[in-house]
Amino acid sequence: MSKRGKVVGSKLPKRDVDAIFSRRALLLSYAGAGVLGLILFRLGQLQTTNLLSGEYSDAADDNRFDTRIIAPPRGVIYDRFGTVLAQTSKDYQVAVIQNDVEDLEGVVDRVRQILNLTPEWARRAVIRVRGGSRFEPQPLQEGLTWEEFNAVNVRLPELRGVVAQSVDVRAYPYDVVYAHPIGYVQKPTQRDIDRVLEDPEQGQSRAVYLRNPHVRVGKAGLEAEMEPVLHGEAGWRKVIVNARGVEQGEDERERREPVRGSGIVLTIDHDLQRIAMQNFGEQSGAAVVMDIWTGDLLAMASAPGFDPNLFVNGISQANFRALNENEKKPLFHKCVTGVYAPGSTFKMIVGIAAKQAGVDDDWSVSCSGYYPYGGRTFHCWRIGGHGRMNMHDAIKHSCDIYFYQAALRAGPERIAAVARQFGLGQHFDVNVPNIRNGLIPDPQWWRENRGEGWTGGLTLNYGIGQGAMGVTPLQLAVMSARLANNGYAVEPRLIRDAPGVRDPGRPPHMSGIEPEHLARVRDGMFGVCNEPGGTAVRAGALELVRHPETGAATPLTPDNRHWEPVQIAGKTGTAQVRALGANRGRHFSTIEWRFRDNALFCCFGPWHEPRYACAVVVEHGGAGSAVAGPIAKEIMKAALLRDPSRREPARLAALEPQTGRSA
Amino acid sequence: MTMMAQQAPRTILERFTKMNWGIINVLVLIACVGVAMHFSVSSGEWTDMPLTHGLRFAALAVVMFLAAMALDARFWLTIAYPLYAVALLLLIAVEVAGETRMGATRWLDIGPVSMQPSEIMKIAIVLALARYYHFLDPRRTGTVLWIVPPFLMIVAPVALVMHQPDLGTALMILFAGVCVMFLGGLLWRIIAAGAIVAVGTAIFAYTSILHDYQRDRVNVFLGITDDPLGAGYHVLQSKIAIGSAGFFGRGYLQGSQAQLDFLPEKHTDFIFTMIVEEFGLVGGGFVLALFALLMGLTMRIAANARSHFGRLAAAGVAATVACYVFVNTAMVIGLVPVVGIPLPIISFGGTAMMTVMAGYAMVLAIDLHKERF
Repeated sequence: MSKRGKVVGSKLPKRDVDAIFSRRALLLSYAGAGVLGLILFRLGQLQTTNLLSGEYSDAADDNRFDTRIIAPPRGVIYDRFGTVLAQTSKDYQVAVIQNDVEDLEGVVDRVRQILNLTPEWARRAVIRVRGGSRFEPQPLQEGLTWEEFNAVNVRLPELRGVVAQSVDVRAYPYDVVYAHPIGYVQKPTQRDIDRVLEDPEQGQSRAVYLRNPHVRVGKAGLEAEMEPVLHGEAGWRKVIVNARGVEQGEDERERREPVRGSGIVLTIDHDLQRIAMQNFGEQSGAAVVMDIWTGDLLAMASAPGFDPNLFVNGISQANFRALNENEKKPLFHKCVTGVYAPGSTFKMIVGIAAKQAGVDDDWSVSCSGYYPYGGRTFHCWRIGGHGRMNMHDAIKHSCDIYFYQAALRAGPERIAAVARQFGLGQHFDVNVPNIRNGLIPDPQWWRENRGEGWTGGLTLNYGIGQGAMGVTPLQLAVMSARLANNGYAVEPRLIRDAPGVRDPGRPPHMSGIEPEHLARVRDGMFGVCNEPGGTAVRAGALELVRHPETGAATPLTPDNRHWEPVQIAGKTGTAQVRALGANRGRHFSTIEWRFRDNALFCCFGPWHEPRYACAVVVEHGGAGSAVAGPIAKEIMKAALLRDPSRREPARLAALEPQTGRSA
Repeated sequence: MTMMAQQAPRTILERFTKMNWGIINVLVLIACVGVAMHFSVSSGEWTDMPLTHGLRFAALAVVMFLAAMALDARFWLTIAYPLYAVALLLLIAVEVAGETRMGATRWLDIGPVSMQPSEIMKIAIVLALARYYHFLDPRRTGTVLWIVPPFLMIVAPVALVMHQPDLGTALMILFAGVCVMFLGGLLWRIIAAGAIVAVGTAIFAYTSILHDYQRDRVNVFLGITDDPLGAGYHVLQSKIAIGSAGFFGRGYLQGSQAQLDFLPEKHTDFIFTMIVEEFGLVGGGFVLALFALLMGLTMRIAANARSHFGRLAAAGVAATVACYVFVNTAMVIGLVPVVGIPLPIISFGGTAMMTVMAGYAMVLAIDLHKERF
């Protein structure tokens, strides 16, 4: 078939290119068929592998299904009458889905311009977003106003990857008022996540849950301590996503709704709490109001407060630094964390101990303003002295000389024992974190911790509540309550009604406590507030009377002058914060704030039928009578007028009928 | 010239009816698969993509048809060397003034037209070598000396394309050229020697010539590195799609890997994966069968061609298309490294389709006018 000419004279062997082509074309075709077979075999092999192990089907499902967490609404916190103190409300946010954004910096800068924010904000936002999930929306700015939210919304078409969303956030409508007892929630920190990762069983899934940008956990106050009750159970949705993580649909059958966290009803009376906070003004301190029978904490105020809402979406560094470095320590819950020398408020304890040691009503001492002991001179606060003092007068005038000698007669062991019985230096779990126990030292403690023997001089200081001892305002309130209820070991509580919380029942009477001893001490406290010369007669001047039939307290008016007055009994305290006597003789205003004396006041009322005990500490306020007394007076006045313990409290079952997984 | 058993077609009607409709039908079927898949790529909407694909094929098919009617194999023989020379010059031009897209300099802008000279070379190399062997004394096919010119004709474009860098196209040019040389009568002992040299070169290339991204792909393929988010991601997702498809597939428009974008490059290099995912082993087998039929019909034309040039050129086109299909499908199932070779007439894109259609304009002409040349 070849048509081509031959090269003349060639000595090369002949080759039949036609035959070669035919053979080789066939060979190539076979080779091609072989390759085709190999490819088909491989296709079948991949599918057989999948049939046997499900490997590829599982991988495809892993790709297209994503479990999205639905954060549960957090339980509501109510006051004792059902006022909402912490709830879940809507927050408007602008967020960005990293995976849908090509130029993150550019997009964030556009948002910055719309919201009129600083370049520094944009820089931080970019860093924050880069650290988060690629597929879930990462909030850029939270707490937008409706106008800002709309301004972002209308520009969304030109901002690919940016979403405007409204999400559930924790809100504290009374901000500063409950900053301490209720605290706040925050995004879980890396520390929180690391901690749950230590749990080999649930750690991994729990960590994934905590990384969800909408999840908040309690970080302070009740929010932290009651986290398991308040948090609720997370729900989830099984969604179909594309490769960029954008949701394409949902498998409704796999959806599990979240379970709202349970509510908590507090013992706090909102109005009383607010009044307590207001009365501190600019001052630093704490006030605790307690029902002397149930132990209900009706107010738990720590001043100054702060706005817990600032923490929910992450507080700015500047704001946090301002709070953290403020010398009035707004972040401290002073009711349970503040430890102060009780000063003269300790004298009731010394008095009871002295009574137990056999000091009778006739025993008296002469106060000349100073008392020499062991080669040193101990002074009375009143230069020139009080003259002859029995226990009633000594409490009423807060005479130091009497209590130096009463302490010597009672002895430090006995005083310490009584102090502990009355709650000082004791731990009371009121469901808030960082509760400090304070310290009631005794000779044994002194030997073990100071390495030296107890001396009589220490006993003298003990008598006026100075020295190494420290108590919290909560403990002072407990002490006042146990004095007022005639020696029943009432325990304070902050939660009235929540899952797992039981009514404590009637408190037991404290062994070895003679009601008669307490009555003597209370008489002295009555004198403090109501008798001429008492150290806190101004604080005692409540100007309240009670209705002759109902007994309800009401403000004194010209028309009801003939009604019985409503009175309180109390005790002032002024405690040095540095070496005894260092401030002596110096004018108050010339002393640096942090070296000024702490002012204390504890009291109970109404006198005719005690129900409420109150303790107030004003840090570096000066004299207890001048600073702490007036605050306590206003708080007690409000407590007596409102009489919250006698009003029908709210019940969780009535406030939240549908809580809990019923289906 | 010997007497022809049959009269060559003269009139337009004759040429029309004697056209190899089998091949044309297979090509149209393959193109229809392409349109259907681009409709699915567009999530079941008539977007530009399926329409463009269909219209582009239709337009090229008409040009192919008319060219096949008008020009017999002598035309292709005539332009073989000039076309090769132009393609080679264009490749050099790319080297000098090419446009870089996605890290590779493959494109040349001539006025409004943007083209890849390496694509022209795929056909030009087949033509040039077919012409060379057509005029070569059969006895000289057995000598080493006369292997040097075709060897250089292959090496020059392969080296240039490799430098762009476009390993896949370079290997295709090499393969097409070697196929024509093989069919032209290359001695077995030289083939054996060449194979040894090729293995040596491959090892050398792997260690010193290949670019990092190319070496990554080879590493992932060889299992040296496991990198599901980098070079291995494409193949991993492709294997997941194929493995989870089942015998009949997930259904048209229902492939989750493709429809949810987990499968990358699903409209180009990985379209075969999408076919298997949505139509299963059956669908994938059908498409492979279509290509096998096309190869078979093309090889029959080669076998029946009168001229040495004709049969070498037709077989060369078949080899080129087979190379496209085999490398592409082997790539998506993880048999060979990812080299970026499209599935002809199905993958979206004009250049590969143009190459194949130009090749078939010639194949159809060789068949139609076999009595003439």
